[in-house]
Amino acid sequence: MFGYVTPYKMELKIKDYEKFKAYYCGLCKSIKHNIGDFPRIFLNYDMTFLAILLDSLEEGRQNYIKKRCIIHPVKKKIILKDNPSLKYAAFCSISLVYFKLLDDTKDEKSIKSRILSVYLRRYLNSMPENFKKNFQVIKNKLRNLYKLEKDSGNKSIDFLANPFGELTGFILSSSQDGDIKKKLYFLGYNLGKWIYIIDAFDDLNEDMRREKFNAIDHCFNSKKLSFDEFSKQIEKRIDFILGTCAAQCMNAFKALPIKRNEELLYNILQYGLLDKMDKVFRRGVYKNEKSI
Amino acid sequence: MKNPYEVLEISENASKEEIKKAYRKLAKKYHPDQYDNNPLRDLAENKMREINEAYDYLMKGNPNQEHYDTGENSYSSENSSGMYQSVENDIYNGNFKNAESKLMNVGTRDAEWNYLMGILNLRRGWYNDAYNNLSTACRLDPNNFKYQSAFNKLSGINRSYRQPYYGDQRKDPDICNICATLYCLDCFCGGGNYGGC
Repeated sequence: MFGYVTPYKMELKIKDYEKFKAYYCGLCKSIKHNIGDFPRIFLNYDMTFLAILLDSLEEGRQNYIKKRCIIHPVKKKIILKDNPSLKYAAFCSISLVYFKLLDDTKDEKSIKSRILSVYLRRYLNSMPENFKKNFQVIKNKLRNLYKLEKDSGNKSIDFLANPFGELTGFILSSSQDGDIKKKLYFLGYNLGKWIYIIDAFDDLNEDMRREKFNAIDHCFNSKKLSFDEFSKQIEKRIDFILGTCAAQCMNAFKALPIKRNEELLYNILQYGLLDKMDKVFRRGVYKNEKSI
Repeated sequence: MKNPYEVLEISENASKEEIKKAYRKLAKKYHPDQYDNNPLRDLAENKMREINEAYDYLMKGNPNQEHYDTGENSYSSENSSGMYQSVENDIYNGNFKNAESKLMNVGTRDAEWNYLMGILNLRRGWYNDAYNNLSTACRLDPNNFKYQSAFNKLSGINRSYRQPYYGDQRKDPDICNICATLYCLDCFCGGGNYGGC
């Protein structure tokens, strides 16, 4: 369910490309520093976006360092030094991965997930006091989502995607107050729905083949069409929903008092999201790409 | 209004439980959302309206007063315009929960109902449901400007957002574009000074 919120490289300035990488490496370092070495394997792009967005509302200097790390032993990397936004993103990242693993363990009886989740649990103790409330909220929202997915009566994609939207809205806005909180929540709500639905479309073929739950199949495929027929029929509607969610993210972003990273964030929300949509719908340059 | 018992295909002394059961069965069968792109959709919608009316009539608890076949419309939503006004206020003030629960209590789901539900869904980020509601409102009352413009607004959000992505990428002119531009310049300036042809 992760890794859809990234910049669109073709429209990205080199400095913003470097900045994105510096945040990415910074988040990795932050996980190492605040949580531990092992959870670094769960690093992902969506959480990098979270750190960039929250950091863009902060004032003050950013400190970068250049050094080697274990994953890139040859070349020195520019890394953003740990700050509260990175630290927050690190804990969110671990919490989300942890509950995802638990769910996979239960649903798919995946041994790998089971081992990883048991191993990851030890690291949860490093969580600071003030994050524990967030951990509980994340837990409740995801539990709500899994419950809705199991109840076969719900046939509205908006209804199904709602908990994940609320969860993302909460994660983006929990450290802010007042008007900014509202705007961040709306951005997060729309982004969460976007992630949930694009992920469902991306997995549609695989899920239908393995007869796993898929929100899009569940809500729209009342005639039980095959994947080829169904995906063609539903693509336009999904494209509409995703486009509207992404547009609303952009509108919320424009209303925020951004102090830095503006061009990078603009690139992600204006081009990155649409590029990912082209990718999952196999349009444009992705037209002849094989399915993943 | 037709005889609600006939509409729901039940006997005159059916219990509330039976009424509910019959209603659910029929609602499943005739729900217009299943008839997307289907010519039967209008029929299903009419049928669904009848079913809703009949159900509401019977559940209001006056099944013994036989108003329904006297030709008078005993179950009409005369108070609905006031209710719709208050829903509109709720949506405007961001009180979505209130608006939703009021709308859910309405039996007759007419064009205005669908319009308000659509606006509510649009405001809270439920775009697929908003799309369904607003297009239903437009279909039920095709000449209503308010419904049409709300529906256009919903589609417009999407379109204007995509502009920079699909526009900018093609900003780099390809060779045909360059030729055409030079050709036009040539024509306007009459001299053939541009591009040397």
